[in-house]
Amino acid sequence: MSELVTPTAEDLQALVEQVWTSYVDPEPLLPAAPLADPGCWSAVTTVTGAWRGMVTVELPERAAHAVATRMLEVAEASREEMADAVGELVNMVGGNVKSLMPEPSQLSLPMVASGSITLPSGAQEACRADLAWQGMPITVRVHLLENDAEGAA
Amino acid sequence: MRALIIDDSKTMRVILRRILTDLGFEVAEAGDGQQALTVMETGPLPELCLIDWNMPVMDGYTFVTRVRDVPEWRDVTLMMVTTESSHGNIVRALAAGAHEYVIKPFTPDAIQEKLELLGLVKDGAAA
Repeated sequence: MSELVTPTAEDLQALVEQVWTSYVDPEPLLPAAPLADPGCWSAVTTVTGAWRGMVTVELPERAAHAVATRMLEVAEASREEMADAVGELVNMVGGNVKSLMPEPSQLSLPMVASGSITLPSGAQEACRADLAWQGMPITVRVHLLENDAEGAA
Repeated sequence: MRALIIDDSKTMRVILRRILTDLGFEVAEAGDGQQALTVMETGPLPELCLIDWNMPVMDGYTFVTRVRDVPEWRDVTLMMVTTESSHGNIVRALAAGAHEYVIKPFTPDAIQEKLELLGLVKDGAAA
């Protein structure tokens, strides 16, 4: 049975900053005001098992492009490269969120969309990190999945 | 010295390639465990494999077990580089024949230190 344990917002922000400073920019992300619609690129990974939840990353197109060029160390990034880089970001954040939660559990492969991803109706936001990088919003959220709410639509 | 990077993320392959190339490795890449087996069967055998866990087609754990089934590949060093950080799965991978385990995110220094411990890097360069 899934346990209703959640990471704290502080845990989440620390995990995101660890990934960010390792691969994107050594300068830390800054706290930002929550936005209703943080951007047009979304990535999600799902944890199933003793703990069930989803981790999402949302950011604007310009940030997704900048993330890809930083991680790949290239001047220009294709949309495929942007999707891959944003997917790897959510994969690393999701894997580290999973490590804080009850075991055993499994992490799905990431899904990335240019646009928003519709989460299952039973997904409930548990915590979020609203951050800013070079003036661009980066929002990372953890959602709890109820028993019958699994997978993104 | 030859290394094979096995990860479905191009971004992660690029990051690892940069680290290994700087250390003097000759690097090949594969996007999943099945592709990696093909590379090992058809190309020059690598001395080192860096292996992600969660991949489509064939995951990293299955790849490790398949490599360890081949006596001619027993000297290949297998290092997991993955977000999969549960204690149970780390133990499983090591029991199946992986030599080392690195959890993402990692620093280049962390990779180098592990390779030094394995005797594959000495004085900052592939041994």
